[in-house]
Amino acid sequence: MLAMLVCVAAMAQSTTGGIKGKIVSRSGRVPIAEARLTLTDAEGTAVRLNSDQNGDFVFNDLENGSYTILVEADGFVASRVNVAVDGFMRNLMFVTMQPEQVLAEVDESSFADLDMDDSGYQNIPTVLSSSSDVFDNTAGYKFSSVRFRQRGFDSNSQDVYLAGIRLNDAVTGYTPWSLWSGLNEATRDKETTSGVGASDYGVGGYNGITNITGTASSMRKGWRFSVLSNSAMYRLRLMGSYATGEMDNGWSLAANVSVRVGGNDWVQGVYYRSVAYWLGAEKNWDDLHRLSFSVFGSPVQRGAQNSSTQEVYDLVGSNFYNSNWGWQDGKIRNSRVRNNHEPVAVLKYTWTPTFNFSLDATAIYRTGRNGYSALDWYDAADPRPDYYRNLPSYFYNEDENYAKRDSPFQAGWAEEAWTYNYNDVRHVNWDRMYNVNRNNVDARFDPERNRSKYVQEERRQDQNDLNFGLTAKYMFPKYFTLKGGATFRWNRTEYYKIIKDLLGGDYYVNIDQFAERDFASSDIAIQNDLQYYYQYGHPQLVGKGDKYGYDYYANVRNATLWANLGFEAGQWKAWVAAQGGYDSFWRFGNVQKGLFPDTSYGKSDVSSFFTYRFKGGVSWNRGPHRIWANAGYFTEAPLFTESFISPRTRNTLASNLQTQKTVSADLSYAFNKNNYSLRITGYYTYIADQTDLMSFYDDSQNSFTNFAMSGIDERHCGIELGFQVPLPLTGLSLQGALNWGDYVYTSTPRVIQTIDNSDQIVMDDIVPYWAYHSTYKRDSEGNVILDKFGDPVFDKKQKHYVPSTPQIAANLGLNYSNNYLFAGIDLQYFDKMYLDMNPLYRTDLAVLGPDGQWSAEEEEYMASQEKFKHAFILNANIGKSWYIRRKYNIGFSLEVKNILNTQSVRTGGYEQTRLIDSEDLTRYYRFDSKYFYMVGTNYMLNLYFRF
Amino acid sequence: MKNIFKPIAIVIAAAAFCACDEFGPVFTGKYDEPADERIYTDADFAAQTPITIRELKAMYKDGPVKITDDLVIKGQVTTSDASGNFYKSFYIQDETAGIELKLGLTGLYNDYKLGQWIYVKCKGLVIGDYEGSKQLGYEDITGDYETAYMEVKLIIENHVFKGALDEPLQPEVISEADLTTDEHMGKYVTINGLSYTNTIFCLVYVNPDGNTKLTSNRIFLDEENKNAWGVTTWAMSKSKFTEYLYSGVFDTADIGNGPEKVKDHKFEIKPTAYTVSQYFKMGKTSIAIRTSGYCKFADKEMSETIGNGTSVSFTGILTNYRGEPQFTLIDLDGVSAAK
Repeated sequence: MLAMLVCVAAMAQSTTGGIKGKIVSRSGRVPIAEARLTLTDAEGTAVRLNSDQNGDFVFNDLENGSYTILVEADGFVASRVNVAVDGFMRNLMFVTMQPEQVLAEVDESSFADLDMDDSGYQNIPTVLSSSSDVFDNTAGYKFSSVRFRQRGFDSNSQDVYLAGIRLNDAVTGYTPWSLWSGLNEATRDKETTSGVGASDYGVGGYNGITNITGTASSMRKGWRFSVLSNSAMYRLRLMGSYATGEMDNGWSLAANVSVRVGGNDWVQGVYYRSVAYWLGAEKNWDDLHRLSFSVFGSPVQRGAQNSSTQEVYDLVGSNFYNSNWGWQDGKIRNSRVRNNHEPVAVLKYTWTPTFNFSLDATAIYRTGRNGYSALDWYDAADPRPDYYRNLPSYFYNEDENYAKRDSPFQAGWAEEAWTYNYNDVRHVNWDRMYNVNRNNVDARFDPERNRSKYVQEERRQDQNDLNFGLTAKYMFPKYFTLKGGATFRWNRTEYYKIIKDLLGGDYYVNIDQFAERDFASSDIAIQNDLQYYYQYGHPQLVGKGDKYGYDYYANVRNATLWANLGFEAGQWKAWVAAQGGYDSFWRFGNVQKGLFPDTSYGKSDVSSFFTYRFKGGVSWNRGPHRIWANAGYFTEAPLFTESFISPRTRNTLASNLQTQKTVSADLSYAFNKNNYSLRITGYYTYIADQTDLMSFYDDSQNSFTNFAMSGIDERHCGIELGFQVPLPLTGLSLQGALNWGDYVYTSTPRVIQTIDNSDQIVMDDIVPYWAYHSTYKRDSEGNVILDKFGDPVFDKKQKHYVPSTPQIAANLGLNYSNNYLFAGIDLQYFDKMYLDMNPLYRTDLAVLGPDGQWSAEEEEYMASQEKFKHAFILNANIGKSWYIRRKYNIGFSLEVKNILNTQSVRTGGYEQTRLIDSEDLTRYYRFDSKYFYMVGTNYMLNLYFRF
Repeated sequence: MKNIFKPIAIVIAAAAFCACDEFGPVFTGKYDEPADERIYTDADFAAQTPITIRELKAMYKDGPVKITDDLVIKGQVTTSDASGNFYKSFYIQDETAGIELKLGLTGLYNDYKLGQWIYVKCKGLVIGDYEGSKQLGYEDITGDYETAYMEVKLIIENHVFKGALDEPLQPEVISEADLTTDEHMGKYVTINGLSYTNTIFCLVYVNPDGNTKLTSNRIFLDEENKNAWGVTTWAMSKSKFTEYLYSGVFDTADIGNGPEKVKDHKFEIKPTAYTVSQYFKMGKTSIAIRTSGYCKFADKEMSETIGNGTSVSFTGILTNYRGEPQFTLIDLDGVSAAK
């Protein structure tokens, strides 16, 4: 709301003033006539009036002091504005109201459910801006299908608050949207600031803050029911909510329940099975004390999608092939299922002793289960259908220099099998796994029962997360507002895995098969739980639900102190903010591992970091013009997940851990008049000393392998532009949004490779080709041109870009909104999308090849970064709502996305971190990369009914 | 109002129906256990001409032979790759003979059980020879070997069919004279009364990526009277071999035919292509007990009684290496020493 307040100064000081402004609708800035305004002063005295035909209103002759204006209009969401009068006529300019049907149209948090961290890389789209800014709205929702990230930042850098407390995952930094997915109604009321901007809830970072209000009184009053069907996520969502609003006795009660079920049209094996709930109660004692309690959860079982190589997609004939599932019992069974239920309880107390002072105290507790299943197997063939040895490319390559790819007949058979899906080669073969398990007696362990060779495991990350926050706000009589607070966080997350399904067998043996290969003669080295082995003389034979493999706690403690001082006078506004923090974390191993008896069990060293951040901003406005600038400097502690070289097995920390440093600034200009609006922002951010840990199963090492990178620097700069132009037809407007970014890597990081079954460092090297590689001049036949010394002639430096977001994104839309009918059509363009790089391909080891000799061709081939093709996308939406007897509201919205049915837009993926020898041993080849694609034409239909 | 609720009810019902219909487990999460896999019987191969494994092996003629007729062989599995001493293949055997099937996958013992009946449709496969042993596999167009691994699931599924499970075969006890005849090659046998010769068979390629046919690229450590070069294990894993090589135990051995010695180049030798086995004697016939450095018992010590020259029995597959008899263990259960 503060962002809406734009003030114009008057020169004279006096003891009375006034408030004026114009009530307009958010989309289109259409004036709202006959809006009902209720002005309340600190004593509770109310004055009422209605806006005129142009939406204008004036309250005159008001005593200096603080006032609240409640604005209501049929078909719009009621809103509340706090205004201080100190001798001036305060001009609020535009007081925007959100049409109810537009909110129904934008069901943005459905898309927050999408996450693709199956690839090992977390990838949740930035979403959920509900501000009135054209660019923010477009970027937050309409760009989500291509996984646009605001200003190119990792989504972890976006701070997501609930009830005033930051809830980004303590261990991984992930945004916490999934905790309340499906609870759109309860979490609809939120405030968002973007970029480096100021927030009421904390100092924040460089990528904005979203605060979900999450109290019973913030939910919209009345009954609401909706039925939503869509073809890109899940088939059906049923949602209902009820809120009393604040009753005469000061109580507010609210509930929100939803069910989401079904698959989608594009990716087989993906499904939802979820019931979400939210219950809240709040009591207000004379606006002096407020106590709010709510509890919610979103239990979900969800089949995941997997990425594959282009070879597989081409063989199958679809870019939406999913290798995770197979047939069992005539049904599709997905091997990778998320199964979460993480209930959250929120207790919030607000004290408002005077109109200019308030204090909030909040406690949030999160607990429950977070599971993700996968296949596990012991000394048996890899059951994943698209395992590279099952593919034609493993047998044959036209380039004779690919070592051992010289069997065209085998390749032909493999291609035949994949093309026609003989014996269901494309899918997980559950039947075979059951049959193997049912026929496998291993007398060494049990002469009677069957030892499972294949199981479905569930990897668990179960959190206990306790947060406390204290926030105070004081408005000085003149010019200044001071906000400040303290937070404390206690987190213990247990990482372990259990047997989810023995797949027809009777037990699984808890040993480390990767260690077994290397240390076959040592019974000690192969034990996952050495203490069990010492006690019983044999490894544990685990059954369904038993823990096995690894088991450790991630412990995180975090405390912050912050303050934010705002200044406002006349045309000027300014603010400064600062925060100091203390972070510490450590690992606690619950099992002693045979390979690392001394470092796997018990408490690791404690890593501690002091962090701090400073921010400031200034803004000036006159008439329709506004200019503002923000800048900040931030240090952040490394995350637990990036700090241990092999957290599954041992306490060893990565060396030289240090804080990440970021400097960020933006400068904006906005113009708003007569339904014309424009905002243009230039931004610049430099992030230094980032770390990253990549971990995946490497069958050439027969183990999980870890690449710990440090010293990654990025530079993000660009321009955001949003505009709206009213067209001659009433209600029709042209809207545009453009992000022109340039996000590059700028440093030479260091990488340390380790494997889970060895304490040796496999590689410790710099990554010289990370930020760029060189290209060399070529002649007309494509050969590298050599100079007189025989060296290749340098052409240019090819920069490497921050991946997984389009750096250029544009949207041009026509919107029509009039008389409860809205419709829109959007044409979008995306470009400068890049594939995530792995560090291995950018080392000298990979570029120089087995012979250690550099060549121009090797550098250009191995170190280069893949750029995805640009994309055009066309979307349209329509909706209408009706009021019946001025009491019942019924309506629908329909959105059709990707009308051109483009199925070739890559939205992400990753490089496989493996090399293939060449036959002549002069160079390496890459493994094929894996990709995710944006789905083709899809719809979302929402029907709603309210009273 | 009613006329509004009706279409809504229809839409809800239709969407709910779609959601259930397209995804059963959405509501149950339950799956019945799959049925047992199909067991092939003789009746499934009525259109094929059955031949014995001996007849199949007899079709080999001084080079790989591609089978062009609809022939089927049937035999019981006699080996397992569980210990890793057999790798990517297994042997089957009927009353007449045994032969190696080069399937080309790992973990075969999970799918092909000892004693299980196997049918092989031979048409399109190739019978070939590797250093004296016959193998049935796929055509190798590179010419590196006489047969290639089948490797592709569809090839295997088109040729190799699983029959009934059965009791594992009992080994046939053979005499010293049998070691050198063709009769028992590839069969599951027991040999009794062997004694350790204190000799290893060890071949190392100095540069495995270079020309492996050059004498100067090879090191043989198979001399007698060298006290087995200090090797007391059945085989050597890569780490163990590296440890020995660098420790200097092999320093005095010749590279190729000399005069260069291992000690001159030991840190240039890549310990990736090597094989270490132990030699025993049955009567007058010397026989290598073939073991792989990748097998799980590679670094297991031979028992002291064996070192002391006691009588040993072996059970495994009789094979051939360049005209010399060779014995391939399935695992260490195939070794028994008199007390």
